[in-house]
Amino acid sequence: MPPLALRDLQARFWEALARAPGAFAPEAAAPELLAAIEPSATLDPAGRLAIYAQAYFWRIREALRADYPRTAALLGDTGFDALVRAYLARHPSTHPSLREVGRRLPEFLATGWEAPAPPFLVDLARLEWARVEVFDAPDASPLTAAALRAVPADAWPDLRLAPVPACEVVRAAWPVHALWAGADEVAPAPTVLRVWRQGWAVYHAPMDATEAAAFARLCAGAPFAAVCEVFADLPPEAAAAEAGALLARWIADELLVLAG
Amino acid sequence: MAFDFPPLGHGVGLRPAHFGAVLEGRERAEWYEVISENFMLRGGRPLAVLDRVRAEAPVALHGVSLALGSTEPLDEDYLAALAALAQRIEPAWVSDHLCWGRFGNHYAHDLLPLPYTEEALAHVVERVRRVQDRLGRRLVLENVSSYVAFRHSTMPEWTFLAAVAAAADCGILLDVNNIYVSAVNHGFSPVAYLEGLPPDRICEIHLAGHSDHGTHLLDTHDQSVPPPVWDLYRLAVRRFGRVPTLVEWDDRIPPFADLLAESARARAIEAEEHDAAARPA
Repeated sequence: MPPLALRDLQARFWEALARAPGAFAPEAAAPELLAAIEPSATLDPAGRLAIYAQAYFWRIREALRADYPRTAALLGDTGFDALVRAYLARHPSTHPSLREVGRRLPEFLATGWEAPAPPFLVDLARLEWARVEVFDAPDASPLTAAALRAVPADAWPDLRLAPVPACEVVRAAWPVHALWAGADEVAPAPTVLRVWRQGWAVYHAPMDATEAAAFARLCAGAPFAAVCEVFADLPPEAAAAEAGALLARWIADELLVLAG
Repeated sequence: MAFDFPPLGHGVGLRPAHFGAVLEGRERAEWYEVISENFMLRGGRPLAVLDRVRAEAPVALHGVSLALGSTEPLDEDYLAALAALAQRIEPAWVSDHLCWGRFGNHYAHDLLPLPYTEEALAHVVERVRRVQDRLGRRLVLENVSSYVAFRHSTMPEWTFLAAVAAAADCGILLDVNNIYVSAVNHGFSPVAYLEGLPPDRICEIHLAGHSDHGTHLLDTHDQSVPPPVWDLYRLAVRRFGRVPTLVEWDDRIPPFADLLAESARARAIEAEEHDAAARPA
């Protein structure tokens, strides 16, 4: 048998790692690859190849566990291993950084994974990925209360605010923040979370229906007067007080910048 | 041919577990090395920490995904990100590994072994040259730990590494732990490895720990540098002189002070060997 060309060797080696991630079987490895590998004093060619197959699976599994700690904990070691095996078989990494390896896990949980899993897992995974995205999102100087005080009164209705880049909104059918905080089970409940970064740390918090509606308007580019319309069913003084309190909370959380 | 890489002394790999301690600044290494891919980010804490560290100490960029030995085309997006990071950080140098890790647009996130053949040699040399042209700087290439060797290799790893460095005109990052791990796994002489490398191209030395799995040693970077690796480091200092030396620790990471203690031990060994060489016979 002539020696394998470099391209062919890499094709067969990659196949040994990636065809059945986490479940390397010597008999599935290409015979010409095994024939090309020198045995060591202690391991045959398949045993040596298995070291790489195992390392490939373990390294990516641990990267995914770091990105999805609660998803992993709720599935348990066996369940999470099964998820990673199936995910990696469908979505091998296409990016030079492990930072990206978990990007499609929520989508895979929603549409690609056939094993029985708790119904809230997809939403929990979406929250966990939002936290990954926020962690290294672009930096920005958030709007301060002092800067807002400098806005003249007549400019307020048309004032356009926007979220900082390190902010995501997660809409879920389950209160996944409770799962994240340690609960093992939750009852379904429509939930909107904002996920943001403050002082380099990542936070998330549920928004009530009014805050969620106001924040959605703000994110869509509505002027401040339109954002405040979510309080239209309150008397004018109460509406102004509520809007002021909400804005103060967003500013304290360093959530906003001036749009445009 | 002379390398103008700066004599940085003794450094440590900068990992997120030590960001706080490094920023506090009570104890510091002479220089730091970071994993390039972990800082190819849009923003956030890692980049902010790196900028602050870089303001006070030299930093080298150490990549794991260049995949110099892969038969896929070079990843131009990756090269652009690396070039941008190098422009931001102004690193002492940029290094990556003598291996492959990419196939069919997929990344293994591992340092996979090459056969040491004329075909692979020509392939790697051409890619190192292209990367150097793209980055506008010399690359430094590190030997990897390996668990597989190929029957059709026509030369030892050290001959291959030396030939790549000579033909591509690049530097060598000598990982003493990797030499030891591979020497045990493949049954070659680590001393022959050191003797087979050209002293004028050794730009950096890596030290780390490994774990013994009975049938093989695994390059785990999860414990202190073991005695046989220190012994080999001593030989490397004897042969290559004062070379910027870095301790890597990537798993079960100890307090920063313990990592610095490993680095101090390397400094002490280097000084002993330097003094011994200076004494008249």
